[in-house]
Amino acid sequence: MSTRIKRIYDWIDKRYNISPLVGEAQRSINFALPSSLTRQNRSKIFWLTYPYYYAGAITAFLAILQGVTGLLLAFHYVPSAIGDPGTPTEAYLSVQNIMKSIPLGALIRGVHQWGANLLVAALAIHAFWAFFRSPYRVGRGISWILGVALLGLALAYSFSGYLLPWDQLGYWAATISVQIMRAIPVLGDLIARILLGGTVLSPITLVRMYFYHVCLLPVIAVVLVGIHMVLVVLQGVSEPEEAWKPSANKEIQTGKQEGPLFGPFLPHQITPVLIISLVTLGVALLLGAFAVQMPGDPANKFLTPQFIAPEWYFLWAYGLLKWIGWVYDLIHFVPPATVFGIDLVSAKVVGILIAGAMFIVLLLLPLIDRGTEVRTLRRPLKTAIGAWAIGLLSTLTLYALNEILSSSISIPIDTMNMTLGSIVIVVPLLIAVPVYVILRRNAMRATEDSTHSHS
Amino acid sequence: MTEKNADSRKKMKWPTMNRRQFVEAIVSVGIAGTVVSFLSLLMSLLPSAGAGEQQGEVDNVFTYGPEKGTWYSAKAGTEVMLEDFDEVGKGAGVLWRKSIPAIVIRVDENRLRGAKATNGLIAFAAACTHLCCISTWHLDRPNEDALFCRCHDGAFDPYNIVKDVMLNGAEYLGAKVMAGPAPRAAPIIPIEIKDGKIAGIPENLDVYGYCG
Repeated sequence: MSTRIKRIYDWIDKRYNISPLVGEAQRSINFALPSSLTRQNRSKIFWLTYPYYYAGAITAFLAILQGVTGLLLAFHYVPSAIGDPGTPTEAYLSVQNIMKSIPLGALIRGVHQWGANLLVAALAIHAFWAFFRSPYRVGRGISWILGVALLGLALAYSFSGYLLPWDQLGYWAATISVQIMRAIPVLGDLIARILLGGTVLSPITLVRMYFYHVCLLPVIAVVLVGIHMVLVVLQGVSEPEEAWKPSANKEIQTGKQEGPLFGPFLPHQITPVLIISLVTLGVALLLGAFAVQMPGDPANKFLTPQFIAPEWYFLWAYGLLKWIGWVYDLIHFVPPATVFGIDLVSAKVVGILIAGAMFIVLLLLPLIDRGTEVRTLRRPLKTAIGAWAIGLLSTLTLYALNEILSSSISIPIDTMNMTLGSIVIVVPLLIAVPVYVILRRNAMRATEDSTHSHS
Repeated sequence: MTEKNADSRKKMKWPTMNRRQFVEAIVSVGIAGTVVSFLSLLMSLLPSAGAGEQQGEVDNVFTYGPEKGTWYSAKAGTEVMLEDFDEVGKGAGVLWRKSIPAIVIRVDENRLRGAKATNGLIAFAAACTHLCCISTWHLDRPNEDALFCRCHDGAFDPYNIVKDVMLNGAEYLGAKVMAGPAPRAAPIIPIEIKDGKIAGIPENLDVYGYCG
């Protein structure tokens, strides 16, 4: 510490006595990275190759980047959508203004737009890694639950942000989402009315969405992300699988390793984070500068644009809705108009119930999936389910593109639906079943080996 | 007097509670009450009834819709005339009461089942009963006689009119679902011809509120 900084520190310390706090914080932070593997590899940047670590760091960095660019955009954006359908509203014009006349406005908006996409991608890697690696089985259950809540929060962010330019795509993506929300049995209408200030999109909705996007969600995010990070500091980053050994007495490992640590947080542990963050910043800047998307036509509630599709990370849900419709068609199933006063078996209600159930299962995974084995290859069923889920999400995403695919490679839509519809059923199973069989065999062999070595 | 009071107090067996417990209980009840009364403020999140609804007189004559690349694109916003629909299969996206998107079609009356056409015309609400995207006629699939919804490939058959019930219980006649995920038929809008203009008859407006 240079003498000048030291003098400022002393000035504060004399008045507020912060030394004990700072010391404790340093000790905790220095615990964050497990040391065994870094020591084995003798490399400060070992963590660059460990997705669970770098995807988390990228997500955190992008969250900050979104905050900064969002703050800058908020200086120029006007949340007003009053006007005739199809004519540019103030919201629309203010985004045009940002794109065309504000100095660096297009770059800032581009970075914000691409930052959101990259954030969801990083979050997905982080989440899948955590799913396969099951750190919640070694005492990190609360981190997992917070993480799933944060995943939901990120989607809420993108949902509310997508509407703000009040262009055709944003408007219709939101309309469809709202109608899906309204299909939630019993509570749907109430939820829609509270979230939107009405049952349809209106200028009131834009103001509410803006409020969520820039005020309510950031507060929730700061609290949840804060706890998520504090837990990482308190427990340490989950050990890479190679370092994990089931403890002899089967007690849950809570993370902190004994023995000398690799090095202090500054500069040793922060180095990979800085490298990753700068690379991410570079990628976001490049994409923002060269691939920024202009808003489309102004929103028109009487005209659905052709080839309407949500953002890529919602495509699987869009595909799911289409796919259920296709299955109903295929087996000539006509859902009854109402069951218990709601259209319970219509494709959209089935779709939202499936999606909701998936979210709840994910949220409560630490309670459902107990035990202490975290090695991915020793858990055939769970790893197979994860592989199946990845297969399903990708094929549903493909199914969502049926119209575009069929017109671009000129295959009749029915043939296309039949092909893609079967792919959705077959491919995930083709991935999952072999994974299960192979892992199962290996796991049994491993158990045999260990029994042999014991005897 | 005082003795009697003391006696009755003994008989009633008050729960034993010292002053500290009493204060704790009172404070807990107070805090709980405050929290509950603050929660009731959440009621204010509900929008006021009728927010965003149309006010004033509305005209029932259809006006042409904003679809691009159609025969009626040049007429967008103008009143819909009977004479424009000069051949079977010709149809247009229109607006009814400035808020309800609809489709008017000249149909082959011999093929039409389940309802009667008015001057050879029939009209349907265009908002898909699935997720409220706006269906179109002969726009995305020019060779299919169907009200087609772009969002999830829903299709409704304008020649096959069936009875159906909305979630709010309103009964109606509508174009049967041919394909896709829509749960109910696309409701017919009864029409009349006024001075050569096509107008909807607002007799059963409960039916058309399914999109909120």
